[in-house]
Amino acid sequence: MDSFLLLLCFLPVSYLLFKLFIVIDQKRHQCCYILDYHCYKPGDDRKISTEFSGEIIRRNKNLGLNEYKFLLKAIVSSGIGEQTYAPEMIFHGRETCPTFEDGITEMDEFLNDSIEKVLDRSGVSPSEIDVLVVNVSMITSLPSLAARVINRYKMREDIKVYNLTGMGCSASLIAVNIVQNIFKCCKNAYALVVTSESLSPNWYTGNHRSMILANCLFRTGGCAVLMTNKVTLKNRAMFKLKCLVRTHHGAKDDSFSCCIQREDEQGRVGFHLDKTLPKSATRAFVDNLKVMSPKILPLTELLRFSIVSFSRKMSQSIDGSRPVINFKTGVNHFCLHTGGKAVIDGIGQSLNLSEYDLEPARMTLHRFGNTSASSLWYVLGYMEAKKRLKKGDKLFMISFGAGFKCNSCLWEVLRDLGDRNVWDDCIDNYPPENLANPFMEKYGWINDEDPSTFKVPE
Amino acid sequence: MPTPTVPEFSKSVKLKYVKLGYQYLVNHILTFLLIPVMLSVALQLVHTSPDDLLALWNSLHFNLVHVACSLFLIVYIATFYFLSRPRTIYLVDYACFKPPCSLRVPFAMCLEHARIILSSQPKSVQFQLRILERSGLGEETALPPAIHYLPPEPNMAAAREEAEMVIFSAMDSLLKKTGLKPKDIDILIVNCSLFSPTPSLSAMVVNKYKLRSNIKSFNLAGMGCSAGLISIDLARDLLQVHPNSNAVIVSTEIITPNCYMGNQRSMLLPNCLFRMGGAAILLSNRWSDKRRAKFRLVHVVRTHKGAEDKAYKCVQQEEDPEGHVGISLSINLMAIAAEALKSNITTIGPLVLPASEQLLFLFALLRRKIFKKKTKAYVPDFKQAFEHFCIHAGGRAVIDELQKNLQLSAEHVEASRMTLHRFGNTSSSSLWYEMSYIEAKGRMKRGDRIWQIAFGSGFKCNSAVWKCNRTIKAPIDDGPWVDCIDRYPVYIPDVVKL
Repeated sequence: MDSFLLLLCFLPVSYLLFKLFIVIDQKRHQCCYILDYHCYKPGDDRKISTEFSGEIIRRNKNLGLNEYKFLLKAIVSSGIGEQTYAPEMIFHGRETCPTFEDGITEMDEFLNDSIEKVLDRSGVSPSEIDVLVVNVSMITSLPSLAARVINRYKMREDIKVYNLTGMGCSASLIAVNIVQNIFKCCKNAYALVVTSESLSPNWYTGNHRSMILANCLFRTGGCAVLMTNKVTLKNRAMFKLKCLVRTHHGAKDDSFSCCIQREDEQGRVGFHLDKTLPKSATRAFVDNLKVMSPKILPLTELLRFSIVSFSRKMSQSIDGSRPVINFKTGVNHFCLHTGGKAVIDGIGQSLNLSEYDLEPARMTLHRFGNTSASSLWYVLGYMEAKKRLKKGDKLFMISFGAGFKCNSCLWEVLRDLGDRNVWDDCIDNYPPENLANPFMEKYGWINDEDPSTFKVPE
Repeated sequence: MPTPTVPEFSKSVKLKYVKLGYQYLVNHILTFLLIPVMLSVALQLVHTSPDDLLALWNSLHFNLVHVACSLFLIVYIATFYFLSRPRTIYLVDYACFKPPCSLRVPFAMCLEHARIILSSQPKSVQFQLRILERSGLGEETALPPAIHYLPPEPNMAAAREEAEMVIFSAMDSLLKKTGLKPKDIDILIVNCSLFSPTPSLSAMVVNKYKLRSNIKSFNLAGMGCSAGLISIDLARDLLQVHPNSNAVIVSTEIITPNCYMGNQRSMLLPNCLFRMGGAAILLSNRWSDKRRAKFRLVHVVRTHKGAEDKAYKCVQQEEDPEGHVGISLSINLMAIAAEALKSNITTIGPLVLPASEQLLFLFALLRRKIFKKKTKAYVPDFKQAFEHFCIHAGGRAVIDELQKNLQLSAEHVEASRMTLHRFGNTSSSSLWYEMSYIEAKGRMKRGDRIWQIAFGSGFKCNSAVWKCNRTIKAPIDDGPWVDCIDRYPVYIPDVVKL
């Protein structure tokens, strides 16, 4: 009887252990690693200087002298340098009448370049990709760009593919969110995240002040990121995702309409950037940090901050600066969306960051401009090229997008990084002594204009 | 001549019973094997006396420790078993957009508008007329207000208005039916192929209903008529990861920006077939929703044939020589759809077919491979696996082709044909109009299995398998079919004379 009882206990125990093993095995495969990434760099013939930007504005018949001055002032003080890239149609003078093909060709150039390079470098064949997420905000085509990628690279039939559009400059992290969730369900998978922005079909041909700015600020760029949850590739991986937080302020009307695509009075479609944009951005940023901080900062810092704020509230003193939470206790590097000089300055001020912390974002803005959703990866490339990323470092990515969204995530660096990437031909020139626009003197008379006539946005 | 038919009839009847017997035997094989075991146990019990049983009971020494350990173990095992199973996804309810009567486009209006707008191109008018006659559409399909103008005024403001009308109406209806509070929505997925403003349509929904700031929202575009099932797949993956959550999916197609103003024949077809429509669906993995949910999601299978150039190019948005943008459909669309369906069936067959059909398929495959007999490929009888079929109402040809390939009866494809007649091709939401038709007809019983098949540009073929959770009693008091279900099914002639 004792042996019978022993058997009775043995079978369930072994079954229990088996189930435990399955649960632990499942957990092991739920981590999200970046194997490799490649940012797009067009040829030198696509570089656009401030002088050429002036030419483009001047040849646009719809823009009068006032708009010309306004735009030039914006470009000169934007922090964008002389080596950023523009779509091909601008060089052919066709920006006011782009064809449907222009939009597709612009995307093709990027898709044929970056994806091939990232797959070659990591030795993964396209037919091994299990998940594909493509996000390009401002173009819809049928079949989708994701189908275009599948056709070009002959990917498998049972691939999980998603094509995100309209999600703005923060869509990169939304794509990572999708991959993160799928990795928790599927084991041993490869995922490819392709992010870019379409500029050709979105040139605004009118002269509404709030809408002409978008023409001058966005630049061509894109990135392909190869991710995996295979535990065997952990040694080759570059980064591991620790946490990701998304904040959506669409419920607030002013946040929703501060950055919106619409028609002007003449029926021309453009991207309207409202004056309330910085305020909406700050609000979304603060909300996002409220959720993110407890997840990434050490307990000591959280306690210190809560004690300091509490004591300030109790003492009701307005003197001195507001208590600022010190993010550097939990984060080593800051990867900011290069939305513009004001955005970088604003974040730097609210997080109390030094010039060293803001350097990657500023240099990316200078060298590549605002490439929308893919800008984060260029900033990451700068840090890597400057050999700043060491094993165990924590990297914080922040991005903003229309809607109004603020998405952020924390990556852990898994090994010392310093590969050649898109910055390798110019990294030694950075940081330059002077970031000021060389045409500041030429167009310096703009700075003497009456400030009541113009308002520099954000 | 009656004599030759009678033996054929009796032979077919005999075959039918043989087939039924075979299916019954194979599908219930385990029960059949258990019968001898059960009989022997019963015989043993009959022979033992009550004294023997008492002796057996006393010989098992139970003390408190043993009992407690075993109980503890059983509870432990049960917990782990339930934890390691994938979460069940329930479809709580769904709502379809019902276009107002003022937006109807009867044939007479289509003809009149075509003649006025394309007065310089009589051949295009004739071509569109011929398509309409054979399309299988009825007189009550709807187009958005901007397309009713002469000439149509497809600007962005009108597109946004159409989006608001369709999406908000479907969402309002869903919130009312389910009693869901907007603040309780955890995941939002919106799919619309050809209209994607910035901020996205999902941001528009978040703004209108004041959804939470930590909502996980996604906006899928460009994925064609099968995007509804792609959204369901994404929602399923997300709901596996997030416990105790719900997801709202909005599937629609905004027609306003896609009116084709040129005269290329391959591009005129979508003008005649696509109509206004939209659906909002609520999925949940909460235990509390199990009782009131209508369906349970069993499988989602996706097939993407984009790697083949022919399949990729068969539905393409492009510019014609005159600069008008439209969607061109290639001649071999049906053949490609059949190929994509075959690939999809290869994956879904083993998951849903009963053992009898799988064996038959295996034998047929072996016969072809080993004996190299040039017999036709055996198409499994999917009627054994499903009670209802929802085939995307892409067009009459699609439904005919699938009916032929899957050997379905007229009743199986009735929902698809009637949806095409009443609402036209509403792209990704057509599957939900078809489900609604089956419910309105009172055919949806508990335990019924439904197969939704959708095709899309790329070329994709996606399937979803649902199981009905509770019998849905007709007549239902809301839904897009509420005022016209009694008129259906209608006879749709091959050619309607205009």
